[in-house]
Amino acid sequence: MALEIYAYRCRKCGAVHYPYRMVCRRCRQNAHNEFDPVPLPRRGRLLTFTILHTLPPDFNVAKLGLGIVELEDGLRVTGQLDIAEPKAGMAVQGSVEVVRRGEYEKTHGLVFRKA
Amino acid sequence: MREVYVVGIGITSFSRLEYPLSEIAAYPAMMALADCGLAGVDQVYVANMGAARINRQTGLASAVVDTLSLTPAGAALIENGPASGASAIKEGFLAVASGVHDVVLVTGAERMREVNNLEATDFVATLSHPLAEYIYGITLPSLAGMFTRLYMERYGVTSRHLAMVAVKNHDNAMLNPFAHLHQKITIEALLDSPEALTNNPYVAEPLRFFDMCPVSDGGACVILAAADVAKKVKRPLVRLAGVGQATDTHAVQEREDPTDLLAVRRAAAKSFEMAGVKPPDVNVAELHDAFTILEIVESEEVGFFKKGEGHLALERGETRLTGRIPINPSGGLKAKGHPVGATGIGQAHEIVTQLRGEAKKRQAKNAKVGFTCNFGGFGNNVVCLTFIRED
Repeated sequence: MALEIYAYRCRKCGAVHYPYRMVCRRCRQNAHNEFDPVPLPRRGRLLTFTILHTLPPDFNVAKLGLGIVELEDGLRVTGQLDIAEPKAGMAVQGSVEVVRRGEYEKTHGLVFRKA
Repeated sequence: MREVYVVGIGITSFSRLEYPLSEIAAYPAMMALADCGLAGVDQVYVANMGAARINRQTGLASAVVDTLSLTPAGAALIENGPASGASAIKEGFLAVASGVHDVVLVTGAERMREVNNLEATDFVATLSHPLAEYIYGITLPSLAGMFTRLYMERYGVTSRHLAMVAVKNHDNAMLNPFAHLHQKITIEALLDSPEALTNNPYVAEPLRFFDMCPVSDGGACVILAAADVAKKVKRPLVRLAGVGQATDTHAVQEREDPTDLLAVRRAAAKSFEMAGVKPPDVNVAELHDAFTILEIVESEEVGFFKKGEGHLALERGETRLTGRIPINPSGGLKAKGHPVGATGIGQAHEIVTQLRGEAKKRQAKNAKVGFTCNFGGFGNNVVCLTFIRED
């Protein structure tokens, strides 16, 4: 089964948030947990990116592509890029993979490739 | 609301300091007490971000008030990311303005060089959203890099403009004995020479090494007091006339327009409104240039220049020491240094020095109204202060 990352739709007004927040940013009327999880779309457009050359200690690579992607439903997410020559505006496809390995744990997140 | 004055100031060198964090906070406080000649204070606020994580020390304010022998004055730590400094000044302002306290000592300190640069960068990166940003390896330089790319596309800012900020601020820091970097740089060496990639490697594309502030240790202090105290102190009268703070979404991706720094615009507007002045009235400013792009964008968002025209004003030399509105005469975070928790107080120290007319070789002309912008997170928590010279 493919792993999913979820956005959160407010049960009062329908606004969709990512990442999770406890109070809806649009209506501020929901009680705790009054959100429905909805899977994030996988396709989108690369809004902006950077190639990072000085990485935190958990990363054992020389450089890492990072970007903000505007998904098909308009939500924006940050993720890693596995793209040789990223260009702003290009179509990308995301998948959920291990993005960070600590000493004892691994963390899953979004990795984007050329669509 | 009572009027609030800055009666005493003190600062350490920003560099690598080999003495304990509590002393980095206390030393500028001793200088500030000597500066105004006051013996006691009612309250101490200590601004710091990394004591618990980097220096393995909690309850820093209790250590500082004791080593200064200022007990039984009240003491509390203010941790608000890189905006800790100006946030602590805001708390001091509220305490004096409300009439609860007459004299408040606000000191900031950071000792980040106790760990290596990568650990220091990771420590600052913990400001980012833990699930939506941090897990990916997002650091503050990477957020700045993504922001810069958008800004370049939309407004025509180039790497050359960014280098102009670095050169200007390094030049200013040459005139500041407390600055971290006393190193003259040229655009040719940073961008055009065959060695440019070695001199100035990419860190978070399109940003390069000389677009980043250094990792600094350092401390700075201001003493705030009510009017009756300030008038007895034999120092030029500088009033803290406006305090403004605003916040924005934690994750940068959620900003409606990702090239806006809305919290800067809102904090600056509040600060100017309280002070009863407008952006063109400002004679000298310290803006939070942790990355060169930020000086340009903040100069627009606070209202000195129109949106998208900050780099043009920079080209015309308007922000140099001799220009219409000198920005970062101290060298800014870029060259004076960025001991995160102390930075906002370091900015206030510079503006008070300028308004007193005591900045010597880096003195801005006719400095009557001064302004600081202290920027936390990637623009999610911003405090702006407006200072006015009286008498």
